[in-house]
Amino acid sequence: MFVHIRDLQYRYSNSDHLTINKFNLTINKGEITTILGESGSGKSTLLRLIAGLEMPSKGNIMVGDDCMCSQSKFVQPERRGIGMVFQDYALFPHMTVSENIKFGLVKWSRKDKKARLQEVLELVNLEGYEKRYPYELSGGQQQRVALARALAPKPKLLLFDEPFSNLDADLQIKIREELRKILKTTGVTSIFVTHDQEDAQALADRIVILRGGEVSQNGTPEEIFGTDCDISDRIAVKPRVLSRT
Amino acid sequence: MNWIRNIKSNMNSWAILSIVFIILILLPNLSIIFQFFSEPNENWAHIREYMLNTYIKNSLILVVAVGVLSAIVGSSLAWIISAYQFPLRNFFQWGLILPLAIPPYIGAYTYHGIINYTGVIQTTLRNQFGVTVDQQYFDIMNMPGTIFIFVIFLFPYVFTITKAFLARQSTSLIENARLLGSNPWKIYFKIVLPLARTSIVAGVSLVILEVLNDYGVVKYYGIQTFTTAIFQTWFGLGDLASAIKLSGTLMLIILGLLIAERVLRGRKRFSFTTTKVKLLKPVQLKGVSKWVAFSYATTVFAVAFIIPFIQLIYWATLTYEQFFSEDLLSVIGNTIMVALIAATLITIMAIVISNFSRLHRGLTAKLFPKVTILGYSIPGAVIAVGIVTLFIGIDKFMYQNTLVSSYVLSTSIFMLVFAYVVRYLAVAYNSIESGFERIGTSFTEASRILGQNITKSFFKVDLKLIRGAIFGGFILAFIDILKELPLTLILRPFNFETLATNAFQYASNEMIHEAAVPSILIIIISAIAIYFFHHVLERE
Ligand SMILES: Nc1ncnc2c1ncn2[C@@H]1O[C@H](COP(=O)(O)OP(=O)(O)O)[C@@H](O)[C@H]1O
Ligand SMILES: [Mg+2]
Repeated sequence: MFVHIRDLQYRYSNSDHLTINKFNLTINKGEITTILGESGSGKSTLLRLIAGLEMPSKGNIMVGDDCMCSQSKFVQPERRGIGMVFQDYALFPHMTVSENIKFGLVKWSRKDKKARLQEVLELVNLEGYEKRYPYELSGGQQQRVALARALAPKPKLLLFDEPFSNLDADLQIKIREELRKILKTTGVTSIFVTHDQEDAQALADRIVILRGGEVSQNGTPEEIFGTDCDISDRIAVKPRVLSRT
Repeated sequence: MNWIRNIKSNMNSWAILSIVFIILILLPNLSIIFQFFSEPNENWAHIREYMLNTYIKNSLILVVAVGVLSAIVGSSLAWIISAYQFPLRNFFQWGLILPLAIPPYIGAYTYHGIINYTGVIQTTLRNQFGVTVDQQYFDIMNMPGTIFIFVIFLFPYVFTITKAFLARQSTSLIENARLLGSNPWKIYFKIVLPLARTSIVAGVSLVILEVLNDYGVVKYYGIQTFTTAIFQTWFGLGDLASAIKLSGTLMLIILGLLIAERVLRGRKRFSFTTTKVKLLKPVQLKGVSKWVAFSYATTVFAVAFIIPFIQLIYWATLTYEQFFSEDLLSVIGNTIMVALIAATLITIMAIVISNFSRLHRGLTAKLFPKVTILGYSIPGAVIAVGIVTLFIGIDKFMYQNTLVSSYVLSTSIFMLVFAYVVRYLAVAYNSIESGFERIGTSFTEASRILGQNITKSFFKVDLKLIRGAIFGGFILAFIDILKELPLTLILRPFNFETLATNAFQYASNEMIHEAAVPSILIIIISAIAIYFFHHVLERE
């Protein structure tokens, strides 16, 4: 097991109920896990806990062989070696594409930085855009920069918070396929959060369904949505799992 | 052992510095509160018996009258300028903020100089028309005169806040009302006043705090208020203990006013209905109403800025040789030096505390911003009392333990700088906090996830993104310090003069012409900052 989360619990200080409760998850190395849940079910909060941006009241998080968080230990986000692509990308507006991507390459030599920059730019298909500022890019391009920036420091684990929600539908389908290819090429372990069932099916090796901060189902896409549909059919599948009960 | 982990992981240099700064800010206030309950002396019995009522009565008359009048003048001008197009409207947008460049105490002696027996009005009447007027009607040094001075030089607080509010306000309500054809008066009273209540109250509360802080105007016009009483008991009677009791009483009154403000503002502090900003489009006024609006704005601008400014320039030409005197140069040097040092410290502290409280959850992080506002709510004279008792206490301690051979802290410039920091921290804090609010926390979080700690993230990312807000906060604090009077009068080291104390002392000694040069310098520097600030804000 590469990622191991046990009995995670969290409550925002101004909230009267647990936002995340009894959350357990294990992930194998190189796997893409999708967490599927309605808006407000606690997906972003969960990612923030894994990244170290919030401190859980209970539970352990292990990534690789390192304990990130337990009752007696809390590793700050800058020391976790975990990457994240934010919902709004959070590209630094005062830096060019190449400055953004090189930002996380702390303690790398100049030469290595340059080589790595070219490598990830190629990976996300953005060669030639180094000098642009984020506001000079389209939404899809911004998203790829965000991905490149997160990939560049070679994180142990990569987190995505609804990365497609700001893109229009056509682009969404195209980028989704691309993303899966990129993630599989690099072999990075990743957790991917969405409220969109199609996204989940198209990307995931494993799907976890989150409801009210708790895991309600956990399995492969086939186990959850049935084996009788191939990729093209999936688009037509009604989001039955998500419909309110 | 959850809580040990929690404390450990929240304890970074930002947290520690913030805690230290907050304690420093609290100390002088605590020192008043502790001594407030000490055994009273005979003076205090006398003051309470015979004088306290007058102080309370005068201070309350001023607060209520100036509050109401500046609310009317400020909000009506804000409304006219937001909603209507008339000659010179664009100039008045920022021109009507300019009266803030004239500190009320300078305005006070200028108007006295204009109106009194030797002033320009009476001399003209006598020499040109042979009319000698009844002095009774040409006396401004009384309660109505004091109210007039405060209103014309402080209404811009209400004007700017209300105007900014009206500009951001989703306009449908106002536009609908206008299309329905109600007359402007009705719209003003039925819609604008209730709608903008929150911001009018916010502006008025700033005005009131300034009124209670003032020493220059009331001293010059001979109105007995809390501030003059604190000065008098302390320096006239040499009775610091009673001054502390007066200060504590005043703090209680202000606490009451702040609670009243909360209640008046209502539950909703920001009543924006939609996030989508639709700018209020001004309607072109025609005919008589165009000239009514124009005359109203022009009259206020003339009375609150042009007339006193021209008078001061005229006086300055009579004493211009002083421009080049070495004394004046050293006064300018002093003023700029202390203002620069204090404004820099204030800016750094404001950055540290606001960055800490936005990046941490929990009670401390929420309470700290409230503490920064404390100093701004408390009149300068009171802060001075707190700081002097605190510093003398420290000095005494060090002296008795033979750490030093004389009282060093309480006789140094350090005390004055510290007082400026306590009083004006809130000014820079508000500006910097709103800068941080605009960028949110996601850039910082992205930076931390990419391996930079809070400090590096601040310098590489946050600082670059909120430069404007930081600079704005610095300028505002700088200007306030430049004009500051009561704190400076009390806490400056021997022979240390700033432009403000210089102007005030010349005026108090009836050397009004000599007071003009330092006054004009203060006004010009402030006016440049206001102009600059208005345009920076406009662009952002
Ligand atoms: N900063 C916060 N303070 C208090 N409650 C929050 C905060 N952020 C999110 N919440 C609440 O926590 C719950 C989960 O939110 P979130 O994790 O953002 O859900 P999702 O990403 O699945 O839409 C929601 O009920 C939300 O209102
Ligand atoms: Mg979310």
